[in-house]
Amino acid sequence: MATAPSDYVFQDEFTADSTYEVGEAVSLWKDAWRRLTSNYFALFGLAVIVLLLLVAIVSQFWTPYPTWKQGIGPTYGGPSAAHPFGLDQVGRDILSRLMGGAAIALAVGLGTALLSSVIGIALGLLAGFYRGWVDTMISLLINVWYGIPDLLVVMLFVVIINSRELKWIIVAISITAWLNMARLVRGQTLALREREFVEAARSIGTRDVGLLTRHILPNALGPIIVQATYLIPAAILFEAFLSFLGLGAPPPEPSWGAMCAEGYKSLQLAAHVTLVPAFALAITLIALNAFGDGLRDALDPRMRR
Amino acid sequence: MAPLLQVEDLKTHFHLRDGVVKAVDGITFHVDKGETVGIVGESGSGKSITSLSIMRLVPEPGRIVHGRILFGANGQPKDVVKMTDEEIRDFRGSDVSMIFQDPMTSLNPVLRIGFQVREAMSAHDRFSDEQSKSRVVPLLKKVRIPGAADRTKAFPHQFSGGMRQRVMIAMGLSNEPSLLIADEPTTALDVTVQAQIIELLRDLNREMGTAIILITHNLAVVASICTRVIVMYAGRIVEEGYTRDIFKNPQHPYTWSLLRSMPRLDAARHSKLLTISGLPPDMSNPPPGCKFHPRCRFRVDRCLEEEPPLGEVGPNQFARCWVLMRNALVTQPEKAAAAEVPIPPLTAEPAQIDQRSEPDRPGAVKA
Amino acid sequence: MTLETSPEVESRVVDKQLALVSVEDVTKHFPIGAGLLGGGSAVRAVDGVSFEVRAGETLGLVGESGCGKSTLGRVIAQLHPATSGKVIFQGQDLVPMRGEKLRRMRQELQMIFQDPYASLNPRMTVGEIIGEPLKNFGLARGKERSNRVHEVMRTCGLNPNFLNRYPHEFSGGQRQRIGIARALVLNPTFIVADEPISALDVSIQAQIVNLMEDLQNRFKLTYLFIAHDLSVVRHLSDRVAVMYLGKIMEIADSHSIYENPLHPYTKALLSSIPIPDPDLEAKRQPILLQGEIPSPVNPPSGCRFHTRCPIAQFPICSEQVPPLESKVDGHLAACHFAGQL
Ligand SMILES: Nc1ncnc2c1ncn2[C@@H]1O[C@H](COP(=O)(O)OP(=O)(O)OP(=O)(O)O)[C@@H](O)[C@H]1O
Ligand SMILES: Nc1ncnc2c1ncn2[C@@H]1O[C@H](COP(=O)(O)OP(=O)(O)O)[C@@H](O)[C@H]1O
Ligand code: SF4
Ligand code: SF4
Ligand SMILES: [Mg+2]
Ligand SMILES: [Mg+2]
Repeated sequence: MATAPSDYVFQDEFTADSTYEVGEAVSLWKDAWRRLTSNYFALFGLAVIVLLLLVAIVSQFWTPYPTWKQGIGPTYGGPSAAHPFGLDQVGRDILSRLMGGAAIALAVGLGTALLSSVIGIALGLLAGFYRGWVDTMISLLINVWYGIPDLLVVMLFVVIINSRELKWIIVAISITAWLNMARLVRGQTLALREREFVEAARSIGTRDVGLLTRHILPNALGPIIVQATYLIPAAILFEAFLSFLGLGAPPPEPSWGAMCAEGYKSLQLAAHVTLVPAFALAITLIALNAFGDGLRDALDPRMRR
Repeated sequence: MAPLLQVEDLKTHFHLRDGVVKAVDGITFHVDKGETVGIVGESGSGKSITSLSIMRLVPEPGRIVHGRILFGANGQPKDVVKMTDEEIRDFRGSDVSMIFQDPMTSLNPVLRIGFQVREAMSAHDRFSDEQSKSRVVPLLKKVRIPGAADRTKAFPHQFSGGMRQRVMIAMGLSNEPSLLIADEPTTALDVTVQAQIIELLRDLNREMGTAIILITHNLAVVASICTRVIVMYAGRIVEEGYTRDIFKNPQHPYTWSLLRSMPRLDAARHSKLLTISGLPPDMSNPPPGCKFHPRCRFRVDRCLEEEPPLGEVGPNQFARCWVLMRNALVTQPEKAAAAEVPIPPLTAEPAQIDQRSEPDRPGAVKA
Repeated sequence: MTLETSPEVESRVVDKQLALVSVEDVTKHFPIGAGLLGGGSAVRAVDGVSFEVRAGETLGLVGESGCGKSTLGRVIAQLHPATSGKVIFQGQDLVPMRGEKLRRMRQELQMIFQDPYASLNPRMTVGEIIGEPLKNFGLARGKERSNRVHEVMRTCGLNPNFLNRYPHEFSGGQRQRIGIARALVLNPTFIVADEPISALDVSIQAQIVNLMEDLQNRFKLTYLFIAHDLSVVRHLSDRVAVMYLGKIMEIADSHSIYENPLHPYTKALLSSIPIPDPDLEAKRQPILLQGEIPSPVNPPSGCRFHTRCPIAQFPICSEQVPPLESKVDGHLAACHFAGQL
């Protein structure tokens, strides 16, 4: 019965109705967004982050009073209508400084997350993809780096650079913060390079750069984003800590950590000088972590229903 | 004689956020004592959910929303759907047991094989502890584990896939149930091992008189051991009958096409296979009318709107179709020709029908 | 078991002389548990395999799970480096090739993968996936590239309107078509198909089998078709190689393998396949093999099949490795007692 088709037939003479074939497609990201928005704690985090972002942007153009101006009102003045959060030890408006501090916190958080992600991703990809001696060297670097206290690295860096400008603070924190990202990306890459679609890409003649950028990195993006959102609060906290020690952004920059440190000396006299920035810091950290957790759960395919 | 298992208009639905998946939607069938019934259908057609419904093991958010599952040949059959938790625990494993596709995930990796087989018995009170203990080795022997006595201390990972499936069968049979449901028991195994397991099931059915429901997507496996076949499509039974009739004289276009779309070991090389174009329906949004109509070459206008009932199309043969193959091939010869396959005999010889009414069932227990 | 045969319709020209690919004594060992001092053992996935694939034919490669079929396919497609041996393709040995030269070679030699879910990048659209080979070789740009992608999609029975969809929006069968289109877009001469239909639904398998046959006729392709299902292989192949534990046990043209298997393993394998016909099934007498395929880490001595062979004779079968040699014209089998079961 079988006859060789003289000319190629596209399909059988009979073609099925396609109307009912492909079901409604739900993309991973759309699905993740749905799950994220049904997680109230993560939504609270997101709301705080958006608020913070707005405040940070506004602070660049307008604050109730200049953040550096001293003697606006009574030193250690308590909250009042003109100064809702009161005044600090040199009579600066705390609300204005808090707003300026939001910008610094976000700059440090985002800047560090970005820079250390770039370092971590690059090294992680190389180690995981090429394995062998490349991996050995990078893994050795990671392990040695882990052994050196972060504070030591940052202090040495600040001393060597001899500048406490914000951008150098960001660089300093970044060179201590990329380790976890590198480990994560290395692990992801090791797993992904064995996946069949990477093998398939190799079989169609894709170069290494293409394998890394088109096939491996996009598929590791979920965990990378989650890791990066955890880097932000960690960097903010670290900068606050540095400022508290007097190693952070130089005065009169309104860093929240520096504000806490300055108010700390007069905690009993005027608690609000310390408590207000400390509270802002705490809320920010909680919000960012909540958002990170929510994002992690939302992107976890096992939570998919 | 009342059948061992009678499923009546069973509906098992999953209520999801974006709609209802009618995984099983009104199926009726029975299994007699000692019979081997095959359920075939492609993935997603509702085979597993049917068997899980019989065990009352439907996963969340699925629920049996309608129908009865009557079990018990003598005396009063009990409705599984209405059983209390206590009763259902007793029912599972001792009256009906189930074996699954992947024998590794159903065995506990940290417990010894012998212990797991014994556990399966001690959950029920058919056997005393002493009896259970002494039955382990004979059971493992029965499923032909080589060196059974020495292997009771082994852990599951020390067994190969086929041996694990044998252990699962031993556990399934440990309480001498009257029905064994095997859900794709050989799909994960190699053909040579599949042949061993099928042989084993056939022998056990013969020796112990255990009725078997064999669920598979492989029609050839069904042909080798089942007396009756149920063909499922989109949560429904589309055809049902004795194996011989279904294979020799299928009446539903789906069964007919499926049989012609499979490459066969005994067929000529490079003979063009019939294709069933299109895909099985998305169960959360099935087509109206006959569920097979988007893929059916023989459809008529009526198929698009009205779903056909499961009607008797021959002695003990039922099909859910408005057209039926014997009519389709007569009235639409051009379609049959397009299918490029020899037209099967239109109707079976009357003599054959007589034979069919008293089939030679290998495992039939004469009560 | 009797198998009916009907006259075969030869629709393709198989050049009996020209070997497109010759595999010469290829081995692939995966080291396991190797310590710092290297003292580990190895999985001998492929262990000394030689055969050739002739231009225009389909060579079926069958065997049980874990016997090394996929590994062999990947070694031939240069996705795993061979431990030793030669893979000669169009007169050149691919094994020592590296870098750009090997990458250029891949244009001619493509692979279709077993798992249509795992072998497509979930973050790329169908258009990107099928267009990527063209991009890699700088073959067509812009409009020209998308025209070529459209054409190939149509050839493989995919609606070109789906160009911007992601793989997860397709069914298994459609994904396999995407995989085939990707392999086809470069106009290769040789395609290694690793169980392309095993993961598909029964009603979909025939669509893919027919597609692959049509493409072969149309584009003069040569296939190495890997499968564990002997029925499909019979349907598609001109010649068949049977593999067991990293070695070829028997190789011959399809007709002789199925009608007159010489190796006991082939015979047992054929007899264990159920046929969808209750009458034939009632007559079928499967040769039940004992146990399962042994571990490739410590393959049995002598003939690897001797632990399960129903006609093994000792000590010869456990001591002497039977060579793969011609028994009757062109029918090769590796057995001391070929044809005696
Ligand atoms: N990357 C690897 N590392 C170690 N062992 C491997 C690797 N890949 C395959 N193997 C081993 O090599 C042997 C052959 O594997 P292969 O995948 O080629 O089998 P196969 O015949 O294709 O089986 P299947 O039918 O299941 O696809 C197996 O024992 C397998 O475990
Ligand atoms: N846990 C579940 N949640 C939602 N839908 C399910 C679930 N399990 C099965 N289904 C749906 O029920 C239908 C039948 O499934 P099943 O009985 O497992 O099919 P099969 O015939 O392959 O065994 C399918 O459409 C499937 O998607
Ligand atoms: S009812 Fe109509 S569409 Fe359905 S199987 Fe019969 S002929 Fe085909
Ligand atoms: S060589 Fe011996 S053991 Fe091997 S297949 Fe032949 S008879 Fe069997
Ligand atoms: Mg199932
Ligand atoms: Mg394989």
